[in-house]
Amino acid sequence: MISDRLKKIICDELYLDSSTIEINDETEATEVPGWDSLNHANIIVAIEKDYGVRFKGLEVLKCNNVGALQNLIDSKVSD
Amino acid sequence: MFGIDFTKIPDLFLYDPNYPLLFGSSLFLFLFFALLVFYRIFAKSNNARILVLIIFSLYFYYMAGGVFLLLLIANAILNFYFGKGMGATKVEGKRRNYLLLALLFNLGLLVYFKYSNFFIQLVNDINLGQFELIDIILPIGISFYTFKSLSYILDIYLEAMEPTKSFRDYFLFVTFFPNILAGPIDRAAKFLPQINKSYSLTRKEIALGLMLIMMGLIKKIMIADYISLNFVDRVFDSPVRFTGVENLLAVYGYALQLYCDFSGYSDIAIGIALLLGFKLMENFNYPFKAKSISEFWRRWHISLSSWLLDYVFRPLQITLRNWRKAGNITALIITFVLVGFWHGASWAFLVWGLLHGIYMAIGMLVQGPKRKFYNKYNLTNSKILGGMQIFITFNLVAFSFIFFRANSFESALEVINQILFFFKPTVFIQFVEGFTPTFILLILGFLFHFLPSSLGDKVTDKLSKLNIFVQAIIFTVVIWVVTQVQSADLQPFIYFQF
Repeated sequence: MISDRLKKIICDELYLDSSTIEINDETEATEVPGWDSLNHANIIVAIEKDYGVRFKGLEVLKCNNVGALQNLIDSKVSD
Repeated sequence: MFGIDFTKIPDLFLYDPNYPLLFGSSLFLFLFFALLVFYRIFAKSNNARILVLIIFSLYFYYMAGGVFLLLLIANAILNFYFGKGMGATKVEGKRRNYLLLALLFNLGLLVYFKYSNFFIQLVNDINLGQFELIDIILPIGISFYTFKSLSYILDIYLEAMEPTKSFRDYFLFVTFFPNILAGPIDRAAKFLPQINKSYSLTRKEIALGLMLIMMGLIKKIMIADYISLNFVDRVFDSPVRFTGVENLLAVYGYALQLYCDFSGYSDIAIGIALLLGFKLMENFNYPFKAKSISEFWRRWHISLSSWLLDYVFRPLQITLRNWRKAGNITALIITFVLVGFWHGASWAFLVWGLLHGIYMAIGMLVQGPKRKFYNKYNLTNSKILGGMQIFITFNLVAFSFIFFRANSFESALEVINQILFFFKPTVFIQFVEGFTPTFILLILGFLFHFLPSSLGDKVTDKLSKLNIFVQAIIFTVVIWVVTQVQSADLQPFIYFQF
């Protein structure tokens, strides 16, 4: 499950209206309007800031969809 | 009998550096047809079919690269075991060691063969010492198969795929002849699962395969070879002997030539693979229709640009993410300089790559203001704006190709100088009169490029509904027409040198 908090961070960063955007575990970056390779880093930084966590580069690179990103966040927050 | 000298037949199967087995040569077409017949006979037995394919692939590479076949085999063996070793452990440190070993082996060989003399020259030029240049022959296709193998290793490292258990399957992935010499740089994750599927082709796939081979030959021989031999090469060989308008047309002509040469090659490779039951990744998608440089790179040499995006740009960008825009710009510039450097060890390629890095960086910086401006004046979906964006993008790309093509850096500056200060627009009429076939091909080439892409699908659809014999006749007629137009010997594909 994608938390509302994560969805809001993503939508805010991409100037999207979160009520019109569907994001689930299987959603890949390319399916979200505006989430391209250039602002990918901005989204990651926004997530790190909001949750007060720090990811390793390799951990981020291994995420192939939003579900994997959510799991990564959860694993950091519960530590 | 038939005027064939049978004593010469064995020579056809021996390596001769001047006669690689080019797609489009009659020997290749004959042997490929024989391969397809064998393939059909063994269609039910996967093992026999794959064995035939591996043997043919090794023969094909031997004809192009001679003794370097051994290097290719070593590449396949070692990378298979690097992948296997990495997959067998969960310990991060050990996985990293396998990665470093694989990078050292693959990039080490690539750097040795491709860049040794560049670095020796550099050391000599800045007076760090004086060394003799080494006499090195570049193993054909090394830039392509090295990247193919590295994607396998990197995907295992990034846990995007599991290593394959079958050495045979990996060996076929590396040596597969349709894409061994100049790509597309396929990904193992997409290719390996296709190997053990049973072989059957739909009518549509047969038609598409034939269509791609025909289009590829037309692009390569009728357009690229013709305009290069008859016009583009002459201008680039001595730019100052031509007016600015001719130089400009040669620059546009070269953009079309390079596209037709390389995408023609890719079409043939993809078509041949399709007839053998393999779907390779797309390499070109009407690149000159791009409305921005970043869109251009999503349409041009896609297998290389997506490789660098996944394995160079993303890791760099994530590492530098706290620098925000500066991090993105640094990652872009490094990635595109590497794109240039991948093409060859020369300053011209570096400048070409750097130019694209700068284009991309500027594109990123103006993205926000541009969006606001377009929204304010309601221009976002305007056709006129779209046309202008395509025109500007094409000219930026064509400008960068001056450095890619020119015989030297000075010569590139001469081309630019002629265009800026010796334009003489009235010479255009003389050009049309003097180079009429070239002019017509230029117009037709660009015209076909800008036709809706659905047209190709429609033609393929029509072709697939025809009887197989009618298809064969069409195919033969096209090849016959193409060989009639063929100016001299078949020109080697431009990307064979990279």
